[in-house]
Amino acid sequence: MLTGIHRSFGKNKAVDGVSIELGSGVFGLLGPNGAGKTSLLRMLATVLPPSSGEIRLLERDPRGPAARREIRRRLGYLPQNLGYYPSFTVVEFIEYFALLKEMPSAQVPKAVALAVERVDLGAKAKAKLRTLSGGMLRRVGIAQAIVNNPDLLLLDEPTAGLDPEQRVQFRALLRSLGETATVIVSTHLVEDVGAACSEVALMSAGKIVFRGTPDELTARGAGHGVGDAPLERGYSAVLSAARS
Amino acid sequence: MTFPNDPGRPASAYDAPDGVDLDRVWTTVATEVWRRHPGRLERTAIRLLRSPGLARALITTPSLLLPWLISTVVVFGAGALISLGPGQPVVWLVAPAVAAVGIAFAYGPAVDPAWELSSSCAVSQRMVLLTRAVAVFALNAALGLLASAASGAVAALTFGWLLPMTAVSALALAAAVVARSAVVGAAAGVAAWVITVLAGQTASGQLTASATNAHAYPPYLAVAACCAAVIIYAVRPERGLQ
Repeated sequence: MLTGIHRSFGKNKAVDGVSIELGSGVFGLLGPNGAGKTSLLRMLATVLPPSSGEIRLLERDPRGPAARREIRRRLGYLPQNLGYYPSFTVVEFIEYFALLKEMPSAQVPKAVALAVERVDLGAKAKAKLRTLSGGMLRRVGIAQAIVNNPDLLLLDEPTAGLDPEQRVQFRALLRSLGETATVIVSTHLVEDVGAACSEVALMSAGKIVFRGTPDELTARGAGHGVGDAPLERGYSAVLSAARS
Repeated sequence: MTFPNDPGRPASAYDAPDGVDLDRVWTTVATEVWRRHPGRLERTAIRLLRSPGLARALITTPSLLLPWLISTVVVFGAGALISLGPGQPVVWLVAPAVAAVGIAFAYGPAVDPAWELSSSCAVSQRMVLLTRAVAVFALNAALGLLASAASGAVAALTFGWLLPMTAVSALALAAAVVARSAVVGAAAGVAAWVITVLAGQTASGQLTASATNAHAYPPYLAVAACCAAVIIYAVRPERGLQ
C-alpha cells in the first residue's frame, strides 16, 4: 500500500503523489519513458527511499530494519538494468541470490532447478553468464526474481529482449504467479499488459492518470486515440487527455 | 519438457506410466545434476558466519574480477604508504581508511554490476561489504606469504600490513556477526586498530612527539576527514532506506 508517495531527484519530480493499494494478481504499470515507473518500482523494492509519503509492503513498514529484512525475504525484484557476474553460471547466479534472500539452504537446490525450468533455461543451466544472449540473461533475471516464490514480485521491463515465443510463455508464467502473489510489471509494451494483467495503471509525469482493467483502458480509446491495437488507442487517448 | 523427435517409435513410448509426474521427476533429476556442493572452506564459513549468503559472498569475492583488481591495487597502495612513512602514527591510521574506502568503492554501486539487485536482498549490503574486505585482505595475505619466501620487502608488507589487516577485518566481521550489526563490527575493527597503533607508538616513546609536532596537524586533520568519510559511507542509509 502506498500513500502519497513523492520522490524527487533534484528539481525533477519522478513520482508525484502516488497512492495505491494492491492485492494478489498481476498489476501492469504502463507509461512512457520518464513517467516514473522505474522509480516507483525501486521504492517498492526498498532500494530507493521516498522523499515523502508512506509505504507498507506485505503489511510491514520497510523503514524498520527487522521488517525490511522480512519483506526482502519475500520479495522478488528484476531491475530494469540487470547487472550480472560474467564468471557465474546460470545456476550459480540464481543460487547466490537465493542465499542472499535467506532462503533455507536445504530448499535452495530444488528452488533453483524449478526457477531455471520455469524460464526454460535448462539447456544453459551450467553455462557462464558471459556466454548468454540478452534474452537469456533477461530470463536469468526473471529466474532469480522468482526463485524464492515471492509474495511480492516486481518486474521492470521483463520482456525486453525476449523473442515473441518467449514473451507468450512469459505471460503464461506471469498469470500463474499472479494466482498467489502480488505481481507488478512495469512495461511500455501495451500488449504485455493486455495479455497478462488483471489490472493496469498508467503513469504520466510521476502521477497515476488511469487505473482500471485492460478492458476499461481499451474502452477509453473508442473513437479516438492513435495506435494499431484497441488497447494502444486507449493508452494514447488517456495519455493525451493527461497532457492536455 | 520436450522430448527428442523419433518418428520410428510410437508416441505412446514417450508417455509416462500412470501416476508418474514427469515434470516432478525431471525437477528432481535437475536438482541433483545442477546441485553445487560447497567446498570445505565454504562449509566452514557457513558455520562461522551463520549465513550461507555471506559465506557465498566470501568465497566468490575474488571471482568478481574488476572489483577484485581495484581493491587489491588499493590495498597494496595503502601498504606502500606505510612503507613510505614508517613509524608515523598518522600513516598507520590513514592507511586502513584508504584501504576500506577502496574496497567499498570496488564492491559498491559504482563498480558492482549487481549492486541494485543485492540491495533488495535480505542479507545486509554492509555485512557483505565487511565479508568482501576479509576476503580481499586474507587472499592477498596468503599470496604475500607465498611471495615472502622470495623477497624481504614483500615479507615486510605481508607481516607489517596484510596479516594485521586480515586480523582486524576478521575481528570486525566476527563482531558484526555476533552483534548482527555491520556498524558495530566496523567500530570494533577501527577501535582494535587504533588501540594497537597507539599502544605501539606509546611503547616506543613516539606518541608524545607526534602529538606535539605542529607539522603533523594537517595530516591528522586529513586522517580525521578520511575516517569521517568512511564512517559516513558505512552508516549512511542504505539505498532505499531512510
